[in-house]
Amino acid sequence: MEFDLEDPLVSLEEEQTFTISELFASESEHVPSPNCLTSTHFRVFCCEAISLILQVQVSCKLDPFVAYLAINYLHRFMSSQEIPQGKPWFLRLVVISCLSLASKMKNTTLSFLVIQKEGCYFKAQSIQRMELLILGALKWRMRSITPFSFLHFFISLAEIKDQSLKQALKSRASEIIFNAQNDIKLLEYKPSTVAATALIFASHELFPQQYSILRASITASEYLDGETLSKCFDLMQDMMRMEAKELMIDTSFLSTETPVSMLERNTKRQRI
Amino acid sequence: MEKTGAGVVVLSAKEAFEKLEKVGEGTYGKVYRAREKATGKIVALKKTRLHEDQDGVPPTTLREVSILRMLSRDPHVVSLMDVKQGQNKEGKTVLYLVFEYMDTDLKKFIRSFDQPGQNIPPETIKSLMYQLCKGIAFCHGHGILHRDLKPHNLLMDRKTMMLKIADLGLARAFTVPIKKYTHEILTLWYRAPEVLLGATHYSMAVDIWSVGCIFAELVTRRALFPGDSELQQLLHIFRLLGTPNEEVWPGVSKLKDWHEYPQWNSQSLSTAVPGLEELGLDLLSQMLEYEPSKRISAKKAMEHAYFDDLDKRNL
Repeated sequence: MEFDLEDPLVSLEEEQTFTISELFASESEHVPSPNCLTSTHFRVFCCEAISLILQVQVSCKLDPFVAYLAINYLHRFMSSQEIPQGKPWFLRLVVISCLSLASKMKNTTLSFLVIQKEGCYFKAQSIQRMELLILGALKWRMRSITPFSFLHFFISLAEIKDQSLKQALKSRASEIIFNAQNDIKLLEYKPSTVAATALIFASHELFPQQYSILRASITASEYLDGETLSKCFDLMQDMMRMEAKELMIDTSFLSTETPVSMLERNTKRQRI
Repeated sequence: MEKTGAGVVVLSAKEAFEKLEKVGEGTYGKVYRAREKATGKIVALKKTRLHEDQDGVPPTTLREVSILRMLSRDPHVVSLMDVKQGQNKEGKTVLYLVFEYMDTDLKKFIRSFDQPGQNIPPETIKSLMYQLCKGIAFCHGHGILHRDLKPHNLLMDRKTMMLKIADLGLARAFTVPIKKYTHEILTLWYRAPEVLLGATHYSMAVDIWSVGCIFAELVTRRALFPGDSELQQLLHIFRLLGTPNEEVWPGVSKLKDWHEYPQWNSQSLSTAVPGLEELGLDLLSQMLEYEPSKRISAKKAMEHAYFDDLDKRNL
C-alpha cells in the first residue's frame, strides 16, 4: 500500500484503534515551529512559494495531495530557517525541491525538467543538495501528518451508516482543506483541529439534518480542545465568507438572491 | 562544520561521532559501533552511499528512511535516532543512519546456551516471543512488512532482556514484490512456503511464518527448517507439516513454482519441538498454517492464551 495522506500511519481499518492515539501524539512533529508565524518575512515568502507550487500543480496536472504535501514541507522547512535576503533563486529552488520530495513520497513520476520548464534551470546536483538540506531540517519525517489523516477518525465518531454520505462528507471536507491551504493563519492550528473544523462545515453544507450529531460527536472527542476548535472555526468561517464574496462578484449581475448570497447568509448563522 | 541559515551549528557525521569498531556489513553498507562525542552515548552507525541520481535523492531511500523514522516510536523496533549527512573521500554524499546500539542479538543469545541439556528458560522464551509479536504487530499496523525476520535481526539487551526488531531496511509496503531481493538476501530457513513457491503478492503472513520458526528455535536451540536450497527448504517443511494439497491450502497447486513433490503426511509438532507446553504448541501451529490467510496475525498472537501468565507490565 502506498503512502496515503489520509492514512499516513494506518493501512488496515481493523488496526485503527491501535494507532489513533499515536496519530494525535505524532501530529506536532509535522507542523511548522510556532514562533515563525508572527514573521512578516515568513508570510511573504511562503505566500509567494505556495503560489508557485499551485501554478506547477495546474501546469503539470499534479495530484493535489502532492502539492499539499509540498506545501507542508515548505512551511516546516522555512519555519526552521532564516529567510535569506537578496537571493531570488532561493525561493524557486526550495519550491522545486519540496515538489520533488513530495512527488517521490507519493510515488509520482516527476522529473526536474518538467517542473522547471518555465523558469531558470538548476542542476540536479543543486536540487539534490537542497533536498538533503530540507530532509535534515525535517529530520527525515516525510510521512507528514496532515488534516486528511484525521478525517476518517472523526467521521467514524458520528457512526454514520450511509457509505455515500460518508464519502461525500470526506470529499467536501477535503476540498475545504485544500482551499484553506493558502491562508497562513491556519498554521496556528493542529492538523486534527483543522480536520474537525472542515468536517463540521462540510456537514452543515451537505447534510443539515446530520449536522448536530456530527458536531456533537466531534466536539466531544477527548483529543480536541473546545476553545481552540471554536477559534479555528471562526477563522475558517471568515475564509469561507471571503470565498463566497469572491464568487458573488462573479455572479452579482444575475440576482440579489443568488445561491451564493444564500450561502453567505447561512455561514453567518453558523456557530459551534 | 556547517552553518544553516538559522546560525545553528550542525556537526558533520565525522565530527559528531568517534568510530569504535566495524561490527558488520549491513544490507546497504558498513555498520560501526560508535560513540557520540557530545553525549558519550554508544550508537550503531549504518553508512550508506547516496546514489547520485539525475532526479536528486532516490525515492527508495527517502521512503525507507521516512518509514524508519515513523516506526522508531515503538519500544520493540530499533530506534533510528538521527540521520546525518557526510561526504566520503571521493566527495560523494553518504548518509549515516544513527541507531540505538544493542549489545547482542537473538542468534548469539541462543548459541550462548551451548551445553547439552541447557535450555532457554520457558519464561524467557515467553517474554521474548511476546515482545517479538508486539513489535511485528506495530510494523504490520503501519502497513510495513519486514520480510527478513531471523534471529540475527532481532537485537537484544542482555541485562534487561528487551528485544527489538532491526534491519527494516528491507521493509516494504504491502504488495511490492522485489524479486531480486528475494533470491539474494532473504535467509531460506525462515522463509514462508508461499514465497518459496513463487507467490508474487506478499502479505503480513510471511513475517508470521518467520516468527513461528524463531519460536521453535528458541525452544530447541536448532533451526526448525534448515534447508540449503529452495527445494530442500520446501522438503523440510513438507516432511513435518505434510505435503500441502488443494484441500489444506486452496490455490497452492497454481503457484508459479509448484511442482510434484513426494507425499508426506503431517507429523505432530511436538515431535519437532519437544518441551514446548500445549498452549505454546497451539500458538506455533497457528503461526505455521499453510494457507497465509489462515495464519494467526501478530496482534491476535499477543492475545493467545499462551501469554496469559506472562507479566506484561514492563513489555
